[in-house]
Order: sequence, then C-alpha cells, then structure tokens
Amino acid sequence: MSEPIIRIDSVTKTFGGLHAVDQVSFQIDQGEIIGLIGPNGAGKTTLFNIISGYYTPTRGHVYFMGKDISGQPPYRLATKGIGRTFQVVKPFPGLSVLDNVVIASLSRYPKRRKAEEHAWEVMEFTGIVDRAHFLAGSLTLAGRKRLEITKAMALEPILVLLDEVVAGLNPKEVDQTIELILKIRDQEKTILIVEHIMRVIMNLSDRVVVLNFGSKIAEGKPKEVANDPAVIKAYLGEEKDKA
Amino acid sequence: MRRRNILWFTIIFVALLLLPIIFSDPFSLRIATEALMWIGLAISWDVIGGYTGRVNFGHGAFFGIGAYVTGILMMKGGWAFPITVPIAGLTAGLIALIVGFPTLRLTGAYFAIAMWSLALAFQQLVLLMTITGGPDGMRLPAFLNPEFFFYLMLGIVSISFVSLWYLMECASFGLKVRSIREDESGAMALGMNPTKIKIQAFVLSAIPAGLIGGIYAYWISYIDPASVFGDIITDQAIVMTIFGGMGTLIGPTIGAVILFAFKTLFWAYLSDYEVLYLIILGAVIALTVFFLPNGIWGTLSAYLDSRKIKKFGEVISQSTGDDNEYV
Repeated sequence: MSEPIIRIDSVTKTFGGLHAVDQVSFQIDQGEIIGLIGPNGAGKTTLFNIISGYYTPTRGHVYFMGKDISGQPPYRLATKGIGRTFQVVKPFPGLSVLDNVVIASLSRYPKRRKAEEHAWEVMEFTGIVDRAHFLAGSLTLAGRKRLEITKAMALEPILVLLDEVVAGLNPKEVDQTIELILKIRDQEKTILIVEHIMRVIMNLSDRVVVLNFGSKIAEGKPKEVANDPAVIKAYLGEEKDKA
Repeated sequence: MRRRNILWFTIIFVALLLLPIIFSDPFSLRIATEALMWIGLAISWDVIGGYTGRVNFGHGAFFGIGAYVTGILMMKGGWAFPITVPIAGLTAGLIALIVGFPTLRLTGAYFAIAMWSLALAFQQLVLLMTITGGPDGMRLPAFLNPEFFFYLMLGIVSISFVSLWYLMECASFGLKVRSIREDESGAMALGMNPTKIKIQAFVLSAIPAGLIGGIYAYWISYIDPASVFGDIITDQAIVMTIFGGMGTLIGPTIGAVILFAFKTLFWAYLSDYEVLYLIILGAVIALTVFFLPNGIWGTLSAYLDSRKIKKFGEVISQSTGDDNEYV
C-alpha cells in the first residue's frame, strides 16, 4: 500500500485564543480530488496555509508522501511538489502573463530558456496562451484566476491546492474551470479544492471534508456529506441544542 | 532584439574608448569620468531599488566604504592601488550581506529609513575613528593621469553594466527579483526564497558602488566624511534612476547622463545660484513621479511595447478568429 499524498495528523492552529483549526485529521490519496468545505471562517484557508507552509501548525503534523513537512517554508514545499493558488489572487501585476508563468517554471527548469519553453506548454494546457504578452494586472478576474492555476501547474506539482478558483466567475467561466480541473486530474495530479459553490464540489470531489469553527465535522462521499445532519446544521444553523 | 542591443552597446563602448582622443583636455575627461561614475552608481542603485523594489536611501554608504577602504589600505597599509579596488568592492558587498539580513525584512519606507540611518551611522563612525583621519579626512597620493582614470572608470562601469544586463535581462535572476518586487508572498508559493534573493540583489547592488568609491578616492585624492558619505550621493543616484526609469538599466544610464550634464552646465554657468540646484533636483523628481512615473525610458519603451502587443493581438485574433472570454 502506497503512502497517502498528504496525511494531516491532528493539526491545530491557534491565533491568540482562537482555534482557527482544531485537531483536524484526514488524508488524501494519490489521484483523489478532495473538496474542503465549510461556512465562512471555518478554517479552510488556514488549513491551506498550513499545508502549503505559510503557517506552522501550533500542534500536530502534516506529512507529504510520508515525510513530515510541518513548518517548512512555502518555497521549499513548492519545489517539493505542492502547488497552490490564492483565494485573493496574487499575480505579478507589472509583469507579462508569460513572465509570471516562467517564474513558476524556474523551480523545475533553472535555465530561463528551458523555463520559457515549459511555460508555453503549461499556458497551452490551461488555455491562457493568447494572453501571454498581456500584463497580468490587465487581466479580468477570470483571467487572473486562470493565471493562478497556470502558475501552480508550472511547478509540475504532485498535489494541487485550489483555493476558491471559481468564486466570482460567471456560469460559463465556472464550467470552463471545472473542465480545466478535470484535465488536471487526468494528468494524475492529486487535488485539494476549497469552494463555496456546491455544484462544483459535488461534481468534482471524490470525497468531501467539512470544517466548522476549525473542527472537522464530517468526511465522506459528496452525497453522504450533503445529507449529514451535522453539516446541514452548520450551514443552516438549526438551534436544536439550545431549545 | 538582443543582437541589436549588443550592437548598440558596442557602438557606444567604442565611441567612449575614442573619446579621450577627441576631447583630450583634462577638464572634459574629468567630466566624462564623473558622468560614467554616476551611471555606475545609478544602475547599481536600481538593482535593489528598481528591480527588487526596495528603495535604498543608504546606497552612498557603499560608495563611502569603498572610498575609505582604498584610502586606508593605500595610506596606512601601503598597498598598491590596483589591489585595493577589488577589496573595496568586496568589503561593500560583505557589509551589504551582513546588513541585509536584518534590514531586508523591512519593507517600504522602513527599509529606506533603516538604510538612511545606517549610512549616517557610517558617516559618524568615520568621523570618530583616527585611522580614517576623522573630520579631516584622508589625502591620497595624487596620480595626475586623467586618461588612466577615465579608462578605469569606463572599464568598471562597462563590466558592471554588462554583468547586470546579463543577470537582470537575460538570466533567470532578473525574473526572480521582479517576482519579489511584485508580490513577495506570491513568489514564495512558486519556489522563490525571498530572503536569499533580496540579499543576493543587495550584494550585487553594493559591489559596483564599492568599486567606484575605491576608484573615486584615488582619482580625487582627497576624501572626507562629508564628501563620500554625504546624502547627496544617494539622493542623486535615486533621482537619476527615477528620472530615467526604474527597473531598467538603460533608464538610469539616460537619467545619469542628462542630470549630470545639467548639473555640470549649471555649475559652469550659473554657479551664483547654486542653492537653486537642489531645489531644481527636487522639482525634477516631483514632476517625474507625477507625470512620468515610469521615467523617460520606461515611458518610451512602454510605448514601443504597446505597438508590438497590438501587432501580436492582431495575429492572434486572425489565427483563432474569436475573442477570448478570459480578458
């Protein structure tokens, strides 16, 4: 039995007295798409930041392909094979789309010429190639989100973390992004996706993990989770216990 | 494009090589040498200030350190000048390395303030020490050969220019520092180590300043804390870079030539009004920031690029026949 790609072992992250992530454990196997959902402030992005190295967990460990990576800096994890996008997109606005992607490719291809060849391939794959010479800052939100995915893919990652890549897009753009995510899965990447739009999560995920107030309240197939009383309570706010 | 650049550099370099034959009088050579010096200081400032986006108000410190290293080694150590210049550059680089670790964690105005204070601290240090001659400064043996200094300055500045051109415009390092400038935490997600890259850029920026300082000391043959550690050195390099265009190498070169020519003419014909010079310098920088935020070269090359992109866009829409919805 091969190691899971990511194993999160009772990870806790506190900010002052606030438990942003509290004793969360789950694992992601090779080739899976895991949906991470939960109401606003549930700790999804915090968990993303822990896996990608932006935060060090207060307690607990994150294992990437069997090795403890908790507390390693993001740039090291990026070269090890964890690619991520940001909910609030972070393009290099003053540089061209091409240069944005070349910068990401440099981690795999240190020579600029090789990195540029690779960048063109990845841009072709994600369908942003016709914007190569535009300034990244001039793209629309949809374009910038696609650029985020392109940059994450240029790292040739093993695990791709997608943080709300369809939020704010119109229905047509949402469909195109879903298509792209499926294409990424076909490349045998493992994907962890945070999303509020249930249509996306239900369509894409093999399994869903639900967070609420930092704790994991459910995990399972999308259908099961959608019918889980705890999940319904978290989203709809039934006040059973107070009554 | 690249080949055309090489052609231009060669033409300018050869023209500069021949310059002393045409203008052989010491005054013209001195002006030309100083112009080259300012080009070197402006392009080296731009490595950290423009390309990496960390505005350094203490660049003059590296120039001063280079000048004093050469002064001390020649006068107290009895070393030969050619050995002292590389040591001046290396010392400046080493100090940038040490200073960079704490200061480059700071961003924006805080880094500027930290470096400005550091430059002042060095000035005070030199004033207090006896080995540097304190406020009296140091007198170096006069070597009255304007051509020697012109060619030496030309050599050092050209080597700096070409190496920086290679690193910033051709190699991957230029993209790395730009990614740090644009978004440091975004760059981390793509495998960039910001601390390492910023320190590399800082050292790279300090070394030419140190080398030039070393040459300056022997050339002018007198250095004191006010002349080599003065704010005006940093300020002028910054104004030249911003006026010419930050984040490029041609920009600061153009800025240095124009502003130095202006300064020289001003000094030559309007020296009665020298107090006005700093006011004009201030006005130039304010107007540039308002009306030409990308500087002369930045504005010009953006215009040329926009024409190129327009052409590219036409080719794309012809070949695909549709408008993409991502933009």
